[in-house]
Amino acid sequence: MTATETAKLLAALVDTLLPGDTGWPTGATVGVQAPLAARLVQERGEDALDRLVAALGDDAAALLNGDEAARVAALTAWEARDQDLFGFVRDAAYMAYYENPVIVQAINEHGHPYRLVPHVAGYKLARFDLARDTPRHGRGAWIRTEAVQRVAVETLHLDDERTQNWGRKQ
Amino acid sequence: MSTTPADVLIIGAGATGALAALVLARAGLDVVCLEQGGWVEAGDHPHYSSDWSWQRKTRWNADVNKRHHVDDYAVRTDASHVLMWNGVGGSTNVYGAIWPRYRPSDFRKGDEHGLQPNWPISYEDLAPYYDRSDRLIGTSGLSGDPGMPPRPPSPTGPLPFTDAARVLAGAFDTLGWHWWPAEAAVISEDYDGRPACNGCGVCSGCARGSMSKYSLSIWPKALAAGARLRIQARVLRVEKGRDGRATGAVFRDRVTGAMEFQPARIVILAGNGVGTPRLLLASDNLANSSDQVGRNLLHHTLTACEFWVDRKIDGHMGYVASMISREFAETDIARGFVNGFQFNCLTSTSSAGEIAAGWLADVKAPWGRGHHAWFERRFGHNLGLFAIGDDLPNPENRVSLDPEQRDEEGAPVARLHYRPGENDRRMMAFQLDRLVDVAKAAGAYDYRLQDYLDENGVYRTPAWHMIGTCRMGGDPETSVVNKWHQSWDVPNLFIVDGSALATGGVVNPTSTISALALRAAEHIRDNFRELSATTRPRAA
Repeated sequence: MTATETAKLLAALVDTLLPGDTGWPTGATVGVQAPLAARLVQERGEDALDRLVAALGDDAAALLNGDEAARVAALTAWEARDQDLFGFVRDAAYMAYYENPVIVQAINEHGHPYRLVPHVAGYKLARFDLARDTPRHGRGAWIRTEAVQRVAVETLHLDDERTQNWGRKQ
Repeated sequence: MSTTPADVLIIGAGATGALAALVLARAGLDVVCLEQGGWVEAGDHPHYSSDWSWQRKTRWNADVNKRHHVDDYAVRTDASHVLMWNGVGGSTNVYGAIWPRYRPSDFRKGDEHGLQPNWPISYEDLAPYYDRSDRLIGTSGLSGDPGMPPRPPSPTGPLPFTDAARVLAGAFDTLGWHWWPAEAAVISEDYDGRPACNGCGVCSGCARGSMSKYSLSIWPKALAAGARLRIQARVLRVEKGRDGRATGAVFRDRVTGAMEFQPARIVILAGNGVGTPRLLLASDNLANSSDQVGRNLLHHTLTACEFWVDRKIDGHMGYVASMISREFAETDIARGFVNGFQFNCLTSTSSAGEIAAGWLADVKAPWGRGHHAWFERRFGHNLGLFAIGDDLPNPENRVSLDPEQRDEEGAPVARLHYRPGENDRRMMAFQLDRLVDVAKAAGAYDYRLQDYLDENGVYRTPAWHMIGTCRMGGDPETSVVNKWHQSWDVPNLFIVDGSALATGGVVNPTSTISALALRAAEHIRDNFRELSATTRPRAA
């Protein structure tokens, strides 16, 4: 693939990921493909673009020349067979998109006081108002050092390794 | 090689090394600190770049195995993410500075159930040092929490109570659970020459120093008092003399490549819960007659929940932590486990990119048509909270040395193994249910949990906290240092970093680690003459 074709491929890729909407420019319009390419190389090695093209395989042609439905089908197929690289590209594209000053402007236009580099000037927030913000619930307790008492730990049978399947996937 | 012994050699210029240097230099002692990394200048932080959120995934990642910084050393891990920073100020360069204290019962788990040791000190022993270290460091908070012992006001008042905090407070009120505005090593007003927090929310360290970065808050005072800080000096081993006392440390000057020896009358280790046991084990198993060096690694139990509410709260603004809840901080065996946990309630991520690419629960925006509708529904409506609990010690959870692999200095590579035990797993299962309770009480239209289990069921905690690996105790058979952080084996060797903590409590540990370091340093200062000559440790 030539350099020109690679550039077009990256632009088509980010426009398929981030096709834009009312008040939201497309990914390629704000140049997401440039930081995406740099980050691919930075994190995945100097041949990362070549490997991206290779990973897309026949789907690259659909991205370059197809209509939106064909491009979506191509990315869907790639996502299914290469979640690792696809996931990196998707996340890197998202991050680059929302780090763009034009997109920050779009966020502002949607009613959020969001800054591109918030550390410089910060956000103006009302100071803690002792009269208004101090909790009045009166809840809470603690045990004094001398009041700590033995609990019947033997009733818990902690030697039984029975909690193996836990968590959100249990 | 230097032939003039320093009064005190400190290894590591992080939080505890800084505090020790300040106390001992102000006492007029000759203090030398060796730090393997360098200064982290404001411009080194990502905070002034438009790609700051990408940088904190890459070159500013708190995980040494993801950022690949030249000052780091290799840590092989089979589970935990290893979060630390090697440089002046240590991990305060990248931390979040949530600043709760331990509870009195945290020091008495041996009495409570015996699955952890009692500390050889009590909360009451440490309380004055909490107060004083807070003033040195610069903190904010609200006194009067009925869930904690009384304490003086923080040096600065509480940080702004944001709309995100109001939503969370409402949820906890609905549940009838305790909550309190977050305590933080972040100043809400100008303090000690540093500017008040401006609410930027980045909070991966703080380049302006509103969040106490010890290279800005403590080290300038220590240097002004005469402490000598040598950067790019990687210590490879601590040497011991025939009398059983530490004689100093061998280090490599990373600029010149020269090997040097710094002799000292007293040696203080301040290298964190991985670096300190690594160094002791690499020093011919120094100070390890108990075989406890490196063992009992504690990370805390940790689970999280991310949820979304209809109300626009713009949680990207303001300090990252909004409030805490101590509702479940004490043991209640009716829950099926010992120990407790607290909720660290956040605001949201400060990064729009992280909303789309995944934050606490790694929920990602869809790509293609529908992406922006998803983003508009989620950005400004997002909240998150952690449940963080007291994990039980397990001697097999440990820092050890790789028998074969060595780093570029020739030092053995550190290995880290951690697996939560039965009590920890029960606690985390309970935490996840309670996190759902909070999300529902907040009226969330969607919520997602984070259990930190990978696809193979391995618990991969983002281990901000690496403690317990050279724990203090009252018995030389089961602990590495006594209540003054003094090695049982090497009487002029002190360990003041988080590895000395006997238990983890239910909280972020840096406030406790700092208070302990201040206490240990003052003990060394007040007993320097005896400690600089004795060949026997003091009594427990």
